Amino acid sequence: MNKEDIISSGLLELYGLGFSSPEETLQVEAWVKHFPELKKEIEEIEMSLETYAQSHAIEPSPEIKNKIFASISTSQQGTTRSFDAIENNTTQAKIYHIPSSFKYAAAAAIILLIGSIAFNYFYYSKFQSVNSELQVAQNKIEQERQANLAMKTDINVMSDKNALPVVLNGTPHAPDALAKIYWMKNTGQVYVDPSYLPSTPEGKQYQLWAIVDGKPVDAGMITAEKGIYHIQKMKSFGHAQAFAITLEKTGGSPTPTMDEMYVIAKI
Amino acid sequence: MAEIKKYSEDELIHLLKNRDQPAFAYLYDNYSAALFGVIFKMLEDRELAEDVLQEAFIKIWNNFSNYDSLKGRLFTWMMNLTRNLTIDTIRSKGYKKQSRIQNSENSVNNISNIANVTESFDALGIRKHLTLLKNDQKQIIDLAYFGGFTQEEISNQLGIPLGTVKTRMRTAIFELRKVLRN
Repeated sequence: MNKEDIISSGLLELYGLGFSSPEETLQVEAWVKHFPELKKEIEEIEMSLETYAQSHAIEPSPEIKNKIFASISTSQQGTTRSFDAIENNTTQAKIYHIPSSFKYAAAAAIILLIGSIAFNYFYYSKFQSVNSELQVAQNKIEQERQANLAMKTDINVMSDKNALPVVLNGTPHAPDALAKIYWMKNTGQVYVDPSYLPSTPEGKQYQLWAIVDGKPVDAGMITAEKGIYHIQKMKSFGHAQAFAITLEKTGGSPTPTMDEMYVIAKI
Repeated sequence: MAEIKKYSEDELIHLLKNRDQPAFAYLYDNYSAALFGVIFKMLEDRELAEDVLQEAFIKIWNNFSNYDSLKGRLFTWMMNLTRNLTIDTIRSKGYKKQSRIQNSENSVNNISNIANVTESFDALGIRKHLTLLKNDQKQIIDLAYFGGFTQEEISNQLGIPLGTVKTRMRTAIFELRKVLRN
């Protein structure tokens, strides 16, 4: 059998696959001895199959390797190798010297750390106090905003083109007292500006009255917000002959206390 | 830090003959996945396949003196040893071979869909070349290489004469070599 016939027989492939029978295997091995070039041919077959296998590789669990090595290490015969291993281990042990530059670096690092902690503490307390100052300032701004809003309402009322301003002058009981009423002619709404009334004693409150057809009618209680009077909306009246303000007990009275009349104005 | 070494096949064989454990670790790292792929495809049972892989590598270590580089490449020897061990396992576990033969075509083709399959970039590149192989060529290599079937079994299974199995296998490997050479 010549080389070409052997190559085309297909036996080399079977051999490379590990599928040749014992007789075929011996035959191929004999051929290789006779034709050393066949070795290369077989090697190429083997390599192609090896690549094929590698391309279908699947990674086993990592612990398998450990198990295998544990198994072969314990069954290892002859102790010279393990002594070698121990000797190697001892020679590999090293004494490490810490360079002095490292000590300085470590000291510097510790100092920096302490400094950093101190700075952090300082800035944190500063932050705390600034934060509470900010809170105070924000509250103040909110108060101002509300005062502003109230003032804006005051101006709106005063500048309304339908507003009929009425000045209530002080009675002999309170000659210095003064109040103003803005009476909206179109809607009948009544606003009172009590800014010039004397402050009320504890438990007392001003009450506005409208004199309608000769009789006093309750027009509402005047309230002070945190001791400050603003223009406020009272009850509405279509017609009235006069307005008056008396000092009454908090919550008001059904009829005015004439002795405690502070201001009055006839329309 | 472990140094990454690369051995030539001759160096590797020399070191393994001298029972060098780092060389064996290298051998494991480079060939375990390829061998495991074959075992897994034959058994279709990950746990069992890992047991066989473990057994195979211990056998490779213990019987390394039996390896003769004149008779073939190291991988071929390991592959034959591993495949024989897997076939032994199949027989001892009383595997139903007939049903495996019927399923083998599907399982071999779908192998990349099985969970836990990790592939290297290289493997993907080669896989792309392998698509150039004809299906019947691929099938016959897979049945022999990954199925662990004898020529007679393949002949029965595919309903083709034994001679045709041999010719087709030769053509298939010839095509494989051509494909991989490109």
